[in-house]
Amino acid sequence: MSTTHEQIDELLAADLHDELTAAERDEFHAHLVECAECRQAFQEGKNMNRILNETMADKKADAAFEQRMVSRFRDRVPKRSGLISLITDLMRVRAVQLTAATALLLALVQTGRMITGDSAMPLKRSEYISSTVEADRDKPGANRDSGVFAKTDGRSKTADALQQKTTPEEEPPPPPPPDKPLTPVESLRQLPSYVGNTKTKKAEFKDEKAPASTAETSAEFVEEKPSSSPSAVGPTANRKLIRNATAELEVVSFDESIQKITGFAAEEKGYVATTSSEKQANGKLRGEIVVKVLPDNLDRFLGRVHGIGELKNQALTTEDVTKAYFDTESRLKNARLMEQRLIEILKTKSKDVADLLEVEKELGRVREQIETMQGELKFMDSQVAFATVTITLAEKNMNLPAAFLLKEKAQLSLYATEVEKTYNEIKALASPKVQITTAQIDRDNTGRVSARLSLLLAPEDSESVIAKIKGMARVENFQVTTERVSQGGDGLGENAKTERDKVELNITLSRDEQETALQQTSLRIRTPEVNDKTKQLRAIAEQQGGRIRSSSFSRDPNGREYSTVSLRVPMKNYNALMQALNGLGKVENVSVRRDDRPNSQIDESNAPADVSIQVYSQGNIVSEETGIWATLRRTIGQGAAALMWSVRMIGVALAFLAPWALIIGAVGWVARRVSRARAARKQSGT
Amino acid sequence: MDASEPAIYRAAIQGDRAAFEMVIRSTSRSLFAIAYGILQSREEAEDVVQDTFVKAWKSRWRVRDSVKLPAWLATIARHRARDLARKRRPEPLPEDLESHEVVESAGQKADLDGEVRSALAQLPELHRLALTLRYFEDLDYGTIEQTLGLTNGALRGILGRALGLMRKRLKPALASIG
Repeated sequence: MSTTHEQIDELLAADLHDELTAAERDEFHAHLVECAECRQAFQEGKNMNRILNETMADKKADAAFEQRMVSRFRDRVPKRSGLISLITDLMRVRAVQLTAATALLLALVQTGRMITGDSAMPLKRSEYISSTVEADRDKPGANRDSGVFAKTDGRSKTADALQQKTTPEEEPPPPPPPDKPLTPVESLRQLPSYVGNTKTKKAEFKDEKAPASTAETSAEFVEEKPSSSPSAVGPTANRKLIRNATAELEVVSFDESIQKITGFAAEEKGYVATTSSEKQANGKLRGEIVVKVLPDNLDRFLGRVHGIGELKNQALTTEDVTKAYFDTESRLKNARLMEQRLIEILKTKSKDVADLLEVEKELGRVREQIETMQGELKFMDSQVAFATVTITLAEKNMNLPAAFLLKEKAQLSLYATEVEKTYNEIKALASPKVQITTAQIDRDNTGRVSARLSLLLAPEDSESVIAKIKGMARVENFQVTTERVSQGGDGLGENAKTERDKVELNITLSRDEQETALQQTSLRIRTPEVNDKTKQLRAIAEQQGGRIRSSSFSRDPNGREYSTVSLRVPMKNYNALMQALNGLGKVENVSVRRDDRPNSQIDESNAPADVSIQVYSQGNIVSEETGIWATLRRTIGQGAAALMWSVRMIGVALAFLAPWALIIGAVGWVARRVSRARAARKQSGT
Repeated sequence: MDASEPAIYRAAIQGDRAAFEMVIRSTSRSLFAIAYGILQSREEAEDVVQDTFVKAWKSRWRVRDSVKLPAWLATIARHRARDLARKRRPEPLPEDLESHEVVESAGQKADLDGEVRSALAQLPELHRLALTLRYFEDLDYGTIEQTLGLTNGALRGILGRALGLMRKRLKPALASIG
């Protein structure tokens, strides 16, 4: 009860608005009967409700309100054009969204490729290959009949395609038209087309239908040669080829070999043309034999010749004289015709003696020509009919040597202070027993001088001369090589006497400046008076037989002075020099390096030692490069540099980030659209 | 209608103009009631409703849950109306135009009307909106709660309190009528 009373406002409103459940309404009305206060409120509430209903009725939207709202909305938000609305409508479809996203990504990738210079070609090519292969599979039969395979040649790499490609090639080519035996005239006519076409050098003497003149001279050969071989058919049948062979052999006995070769030549239907021989210093024979054999038998003959000794070298040549031969032949024909005509003239028109004489003269000239040409043809025929084999034979050295010769070669490298002087001294040694074979002095553009000499020394004087030369300059290197040469044979003769040959001496002369020092020393001396001490240093160096090689002086912004002197002294004076240097000032940072050259005959006390000395002073306490202004200037400079650097880094960062920002933005946009569409679908589902 | 409502809302959010116009038709009155509840001016309320729809169309993609479209529209309308009310706050409540019309019809009623109006103006905003929605559109409690984004059953207390306050404030007038 009491709760109803307390909630009177709420219940009252709900009752008026017809929002109470049946139970609530019963309870509420029951309470109204009991409670006068609430009854009063209820009455007022009813009135209030009525008043509100009345007043609000006036204020609420009129009947045309919705229509007004819609039309104003249409005015304020104009419909977009067909294309844009179509695009926006399309963008609502998921598939289109995904396609657009993919296209965007691909476009980005392509842009990247264009920027980096990668080409998209490989992709295109592989597509092309696969498509051609498919096309081939579709029509396997077509390839064999037509020339389609030629187009796919080299592109389609599948076994399938290869099979198709090779099959037609394996078929034998159509046989050439059967070669009819040619008459001489026909062969003449056909010749030009053959000349120069064939590269075959193999002898093809299957010329059965050769012109009459050839047949005459080589009748014997034509009859004897094998009836025919299959390879004889073809354009090479009428060729005129000259075959030649040369061979060099080492044999045990010269005479025996000559006999054997003569025998072989006879068996192969050939003959020995010439032989010649000569006796050599070691009593061995050396000679040449020229054999003519039938070209067909040449290879067999050579094979047999190889058997008689050790083959050193062999050469086979083939010369094609076909064109020259037939040219001569046709010229001969013309000349014969001319001869006939001249004879005619002589017989019929014999009136004027002068004319007759003229004709006779001409006839003589023509006949001479004919003879020359006949001779040429004959010569060529003989050349063609027989191959020429030139065999050089030499007897092997089997015997013991007659004597030994001891050859000595010496190599001497020298360093001289004055190259030219030493060079002239060596040259002055020349005598019948000391021959100077070459002498050369080189001077390059930097003033470096070097010399080379070659001497031949009589064996008995060689030691003393070499010792004399060694005394002229510093020896850097000396080498002697001895060689024992056998004479007249290559065995080990016990009785053979040994003779000493002239000694060959090669000398190279260089300036000692170029010599690398045996010992290298560097040190620093600190002293307040750099200039004075440097002068003293020079004096000391001179005293110790040193030579100043370079010196320099500098002063840095801090007022510090440096003077560098490098000098070279003989090793024997090195210690004395170092002692003297201690007197100049405080010696610091001494470092010594020594290059020992073992096994070389050098004279150490005269070997050069390099000393590099730096004399320096302490600088000002405050340098010109410090101080407030310099510091300020440097600070500003560094600040500016740092600023420029950061600007550059920002640029680099932007270049790195921009493409990624684009991609991430695009992906995010797509993802949002997708998730929104999904949520919307879920809504409609429930 | 009920079954297709979410579908219409969804289509409207996705940019279907016809669907959006249907939404305009179905929600404009309650939006008007809200705007009026705040502004107490028909013309201004109408402008607010108008602006609300244009703004909603432009940013419709922000609505994630399409069922909440009406509530979202109501929120926009409330904010716009409040903005407008705040702008003209220095001026007194415009009781001029509309009241004049009414004055001609009935003098006594005009007095009552003014009292009702001032009583309404003194109510808290939420209570005023609940009242206008109820009395303008005769909407049931559930719909009003949904439109105003209230929890289930909260409206009963609000309306009861609103009505009670009005009743107490207008007691003399009510007595005279009674």
